[in-house]
Amino acid sequence: FPIYAQQAYQIPREATGRIVCANCHLGKKPVEIEVPQAVLPNTVFEAVVKIPIDKGAQQIQANGQKGPLNVGAVLMLPEGFKLAPAERLSEELKAKTAGLYFQPYSADKENILVIGPIPGDKNQEIIFPILSPNPETNKNVKYLKYQLHVGGNRGRGQVSPTGEKTNNTIYNASVNGRISEITKLENGGYEITITTKNGESKIETIPAGPSLVVKKGQTIKADQPLTIDPNVGGFGQMDTEIVLQSAGRVQGLIAFFISVVLAQIFLVLKKKQFEKVQAAEMNF
Amino acid sequence: MSILKKPDLNDPELRAKLAKGMGHNYYGEPAWPNDLLYIFPVVILGSIACCGGLAVLDPALIGEPADPFSTPLEILPEWYFFPVFQILRVIPNKLLGVVLMAAVPAGLIAVPFIENVNKFQNPFRRPVASAVFLFGTFVAIWLGIGATFPIDKSLTLGLF
Repeated sequence: FPIYAQQAYQIPREATGRIVCANCHLGKKPVEIEVPQAVLPNTVFEAVVKIPIDKGAQQIQANGQKGPLNVGAVLMLPEGFKLAPAERLSEELKAKTAGLYFQPYSADKENILVIGPIPGDKNQEIIFPILSPNPETNKNVKYLKYQLHVGGNRGRGQVSPTGEKTNNTIYNASVNGRISEITKLENGGYEITITTKNGESKIETIPAGPSLVVKKGQTIKADQPLTIDPNVGGFGQMDTEIVLQSAGRVQGLIAFFISVVLAQIFLVLKKKQFEKVQAAEMNF
Repeated sequence: MSILKKPDLNDPELRAKLAKGMGHNYYGEPAWPNDLLYIFPVVILGSIACCGGLAVLDPALIGEPADPFSTPLEILPEWYFFPVFQILRVIPNKLLGVVLMAAVPAGLIAVPFIENVNKFQNPFRRPVASAVFLFGTFVAIWLGIGATFPIDKSLTLGLF
């Protein structure tokens, strides 16, 4: 859940570049983002985050039953960029983002947007409506190229913020030994008793969800998996770039290009003219 | 179409120069002023326009401040180091990897000493040298692309 990150981290990106969702969502799956190459100041544009999900994928819910996957995303915009206010959205963009509730990461971090968890099957493409800042009025922003970071996740996490495993992950044996007993619990989980060589017994509790891969009487080593890895989801992140472009600069550039082309044409014409002189004189 | 001067083969001075592989400036299109005064500025202006266009439309990114105590998630050198980076990455033995990396400039240094085995300059008359060059280029590009893939499919590029 994004709220876990919001409570624990001031910004959701570590110095290594890792987005903190990856601390709980241990699976690795791709995400993609599409933004325009350049935007003009004070303009609304779309950032499309794609979180593909395998068709018909089911994950283990908190109660151990199978269910559909949710998705969520965090989009770290450059300083000054923010969620477009509803009155600036076009009708088309309003329809595309209907029902999506975007939230700033925190009160003073309006440039970091969070969404989720939302149903994954119809939200594999999340469209963020973004408003670009205006460097004329906001002096902290310059006409430059900026980096965007996006993280997208599908499925439940494997670790809770307190460090405990959820029921959507693989469980391993903690000691060497022999499995002396497997009891099925009322809630659907298991208790596995492992007897070590010197007679001590250790009880591994497995919550409802992941199915077992071990049998009674089997010898196992420490860290050997006791269950399958039920996780079908995963987290991915991607960086991209966007240019905050000034209309004046582009107009100047076009004027410059026109003058360059004219100068080139006239140079070639002058050369052709001079060739006629050369042909007449033939004295070079 | 263009203004061309024919070589005057009755001129003994020109023939003497041609015999030495020189004298090519005695015929053809004159460099001054046709090329130097008129066409050079065309090219120079074109280059300036390309650089200016890139500078305006795709300015360089101001990266994050460097932090020597944090290793980025994905380490990748500059693109022109991709092939040697890939060599270093896929060779299991570190020493062997370093030796292979050093072999690249060592091989290039050796080229001037062995290229005169064949006296021709035309690449079509130097089949061995041309083949080595093309193979080396292909391997470098292959390794360079592979450097951007995860290590388990970096040699096959995930193609097979």
